[in-house]
Amino acid sequence: MQDIPQTSEAPVASTSKISAKGVQVYYGDNHAIKDVDVEIEDKTVTAFIGPSGCGKSTFLRCINRMNDTIDICRVQGQILIDGEDIYDPAVDPVQLRAKVGMVFQKPNPFPKSIYDNVAYGPRIHGLARNKAELDEIVEKALRRGAIWNEVKDRLQAPGTGLSGGQQQRLCIARAIATEPEVLLMDEPCSALDPIATAQVEELIDELRQNYSVVIVTHSMQQAARVSQRTAFFHLGNLVEFGDTDKIFTTPEDPRTESYITGRIG
Amino acid sequence: MTHTSLLKQDARTAKRNRAETRFQAYGLIAIGIGMLMLMVLLTTIVSRGTGAFQQTFLTLDVTLAAAKLDKKGERNIEDIKKVSTFGYKPLLVDAFEALVESGAVQSDLKPKDMAGILSKGAEAQMRDAVLADPTLIGQTVSFDFLASGRVDGYLKDRVTRESIVNDKNISSEQLDLVDQMRDAGVLGKKFNIAFITGSDSSDARPEAAGMGVSMVGSLMMMLVVLALALPIGVAASIYLEEFAPKNWITDIIEVNISNLAAVPSIVFGILGLAVFINYMHLPNSAPLVGGLVLTLMTLPTIIISTRASLKSVPPSIRDAALGVGASKMQSVFHHVLPLAAPGILTGTIIGLAQALGETAPLLLIGMVGFIASNGPETITEGLMNPNSAMPAQIYEWAKRADPAFYERAWGGIIILLVFLITMNFIAVMLRRRFERRW
Amino acid sequence: MPLSFLGNPLTLALLVLALAIAGYALARGRAMARAGGDARKLHSLPNYYGMTAAMFAAVPALGVLVIWLLTQPMMIQNAILPMLPVAAVGERGTDSLILSDVNRVAEGLNIAVAQGVLDPQSIAALREDPSTLRKTLAGVGVALGSDVEPFVLAAAERARDLDARWDMIRAGVVILIALAGLLLAVRAADPAFRARNVVERGIMALLITAASLAILTTVGIVLSMVFESLNFFSQHPWQDFFLGGSWAPNFRGNSELSILPLLWGTLYISFIALLVAVPIGLFAAIYLSEYAGSKMRAIAKPLLEILAGIPTIVYGLFALLTVGPFLVDVFGAGGALSMEGLRDGDPLMSGATAVITAGLVMGIMLIPFVSSLSDDIINAVPQSLRDGSYGLGATPSETIRNVVLPAALPGIVGAILLAASRAIGETMIVVLGAGAIARFSGNPFEAMTTITTRIVSQLTGDTDFASPETLVAFALGLTLFILTLGLNVIALYIVRTYREQYE
Repeated sequence: MQDIPQTSEAPVASTSKISAKGVQVYYGDNHAIKDVDVEIEDKTVTAFIGPSGCGKSTFLRCINRMNDTIDICRVQGQILIDGEDIYDPAVDPVQLRAKVGMVFQKPNPFPKSIYDNVAYGPRIHGLARNKAELDEIVEKALRRGAIWNEVKDRLQAPGTGLSGGQQQRLCIARAIATEPEVLLMDEPCSALDPIATAQVEELIDELRQNYSVVIVTHSMQQAARVSQRTAFFHLGNLVEFGDTDKIFTTPEDPRTESYITGRIG
Repeated sequence: MTHTSLLKQDARTAKRNRAETRFQAYGLIAIGIGMLMLMVLLTTIVSRGTGAFQQTFLTLDVTLAAAKLDKKGERNIEDIKKVSTFGYKPLLVDAFEALVESGAVQSDLKPKDMAGILSKGAEAQMRDAVLADPTLIGQTVSFDFLASGRVDGYLKDRVTRESIVNDKNISSEQLDLVDQMRDAGVLGKKFNIAFITGSDSSDARPEAAGMGVSMVGSLMMMLVVLALALPIGVAASIYLEEFAPKNWITDIIEVNISNLAAVPSIVFGILGLAVFINYMHLPNSAPLVGGLVLTLMTLPTIIISTRASLKSVPPSIRDAALGVGASKMQSVFHHVLPLAAPGILTGTIIGLAQALGETAPLLLIGMVGFIASNGPETITEGLMNPNSAMPAQIYEWAKRADPAFYERAWGGIIILLVFLITMNFIAVMLRRRFERRW
Repeated sequence: MPLSFLGNPLTLALLVLALAIAGYALARGRAMARAGGDARKLHSLPNYYGMTAAMFAAVPALGVLVIWLLTQPMMIQNAILPMLPVAAVGERGTDSLILSDVNRVAEGLNIAVAQGVLDPQSIAALREDPSTLRKTLAGVGVALGSDVEPFVLAAAERARDLDARWDMIRAGVVILIALAGLLLAVRAADPAFRARNVVERGIMALLITAASLAILTTVGIVLSMVFESLNFFSQHPWQDFFLGGSWAPNFRGNSELSILPLLWGTLYISFIALLVAVPIGLFAAIYLSEYAGSKMRAIAKPLLEILAGIPTIVYGLFALLTVGPFLVDVFGAGGALSMEGLRDGDPLMSGATAVITAGLVMGIMLIPFVSSLSDDIINAVPQSLRDGSYGLGATPSETIRNVVLPAALPGIVGAILLAASRAIGETMIVVLGAGAIARFSGNPFEAMTTITTRIVSQLTGDTDFASPETLVAFALGLTLFILTLGLNVIALYIVRTYREQYE
């Protein structure tokens, strides 16, 4: 791991991309996220790790307000992106999600052609003025998604016909096509085989050049491989947050150590 | 990359949000139209049908003169029977004459024409009373007579003085008389139990028509459906769900059942006509035949719902029974079937409700177009004697010329819907009470 | 005859059941006795021995009884057919007419004898000149279409005779079979006998029979209509039925009986119904499944489904007495939209029964049908697709239009086909609301008629099952059956493959 932009002990709010303060999430009566503060930096990969049900995915979904689609979910506290509170009533979640893209656990290509899958976002957000521009956006996204060479000859084929790893890279390309600034990934490799996982991990590392990437993962090895910063969640609490190297070598909290050494989780 | 603030909505997003609002509005409008139609339908039924439960009656004192009814004076029942309803007509005329003489009403009409405001069944009503109790002869008895359909319509604002200009069944003078009698309190609307319990009547006497006998017909058909469709449907479902091997025969049966569920009901009527009546020579118009046709029609519904409730019993129950050494058949009959019973019952009730409202096949097997004047005495008679059924009776009234029958058709619908609502309510209650989440 | 009560199938069936109960007691008792009163020594529970005997006594005997009941009328017809004069049968189609006369006379004689109006001697006296018989039979409630001819009476007598004799033979055979079955099972009742296995195999056979009844029903539907349709086509040219241009039944013969104008009316009304039901039903389903909160869903869904539970006769009455007159008020003479000025004083709508009346009301009826089917199908679209779209910043309506609906399209097409099949086969609404005039016209305010209405009108009232004007109803029914079956098969296939896609 090279190129860590900041020293771990000095997170400065002004340079962070996303800043969460006192976030609480409730599902009905269930208090799922308890008072989480976190600062996520630009052009870094941040990993959320922790045992199942610890709230890491829930917190991720707060960052682009995907939780809005669940009726019983309530979010309190503050999440700022570039200094703006995304839960401000004036914020349209539709606009927010264009800026904060998301990749899901299971590859979910639309039952449309590969081209239409990628062109979907640019179309609804009106990013292209004509067909040529749209073609260009699609190609660029597919190239950045590291899948262009595999699909360039069959852009009109259905996206559901691709292999699992290809489908997931297509979904990443689809998310990139809307020119987001932040990319959220919810266990993007959990449904993939090891080879496809390696391809996607390589891609994540490249994406760091342009985006702030937040990845939720089950696998500590994956977090160690792809991320620069790591946050450990346990029972809805953010237990520890810091440089990935440090978390995995010298954790401060005994719970983190137990999890990393395999005693809980 | 342009850096825009999230706090300011851009023009495109605003436009998209407007499209969003419009789209949601379409959905709400669609639901609104559905609800509106339901409201219109229900208010139409209630507002036009409740009148059928009220009927105009005229209370009149009639002297049952012995000279007319029993000339020999021996009070011999056979002699009294010989006097036909025609012989009672003069008594009515006398009664009206007496009414005018008493000064209660004033009219230039001849007493014979005054009697025209009564139902044509008035004489039969007197005769029945006399035959039931011959000692009434010679006395003055107060009768509640049904007023004619036109008079009833006048009191219910269906018939107006303008609408009867060319009507030979009623005249303006007769309506004057009706007004006077209404003011005198001898003529007025009352609850009419005969509409619920009585039988259909001829075209000329809409005021006397009732649903009772056709209700019995429907009941008989439902008995047949219940007795046949429930056991056969459950047996078929048990086989298909628990025992059937996965092969092409089973496949054909399954496809067949789902298709039968969507075959138009009139086709079942044709089947009934061709097989039960023309081939097997079962009697025309009999509730037994109607029941058989409805059984075939309801079977697929019952099979589909029964299979669903059998499927909802978890396999662990079957495994547990098999594990203590029960045979497959015992595990099904001792454990799966009792657990699925509430669901099966619910499905059966809903299937029965469907069958109860079905009309088209009944038209083809002749359950319309005649008047069964008396209800059946025994179950066999009920099954084999020609009868109508509630929906067929409603259809029959809807086809008649006199608008007075329309009111009865709507009223009949109220009765039919009361049955359907009750059945569905029971089904919902059963489901609530016994629903089990595994 | 003292044993003549056995001719009654119901009595016979009851007798067989009594034998079965006796067999139950006998076999159970014998098995227990042989085990020395200790049920543990038996292979199966004691009741199973009883059930075996009951089953062996009742099932084959009742099966034979049912088959016999079904075939006896046919056998008797075949037996009396040679007795009819060639001249009368020679004319095509009249043999069934004569047979039905014979049946009615036989039936009438039965009733007359039962009531004591006639006795064997007086019937014999009628053989030469049965002209008074018509009046006699009318007296017992059996009306005949014409005077009875001697050969009809002879055939009727023979039919009665055969009927009575075969009834007795039937009783004998059925009772014998029941006794044989009973004996066999009682003799077998022994501790080593695997009674439970036998009973279970028997129950299984009953279950299979019940399941195949569905097939039997379909076969019955097809056969009953195919034979009568063939009969129809032998009397009426098929070219006229399928390709002719007009529908003009005439009970004096020379009818024009073409299905095309009826098909046109049917399809036109169904089209209007779908035009009403599909947009409303689909939007309602979308709103309920994608937008509505759980409270609204809990109220609105059952309310909409009430519309589906209302019997069609109610809709028919609603069309005839409410919607029709309302439309006439608007589009009829003197109405706001009657267009009399543009049509030389001729109002757009002249009567309450019209294509538009039936179509609108049928549309209302189909709303819940479309909405609940579409609701199921929309709910089957995986949530992950919606998440994918929301995650890209799509609004809910964009997600529905661009992702959910295209994914659900095959299923929705299937639902619409099912609704179309419903509309084509619907009877009561069109009987009361559509009118009775067969014509090709594009004006929805005119009365038109449909296949189902014509089936009802040709088969009700006084019908003569030998004339093409009646038989055409079976050909219409068969066409309707094939049409709806085709739509259902396609629709069910589409919906099924659609569901499998997301399972």
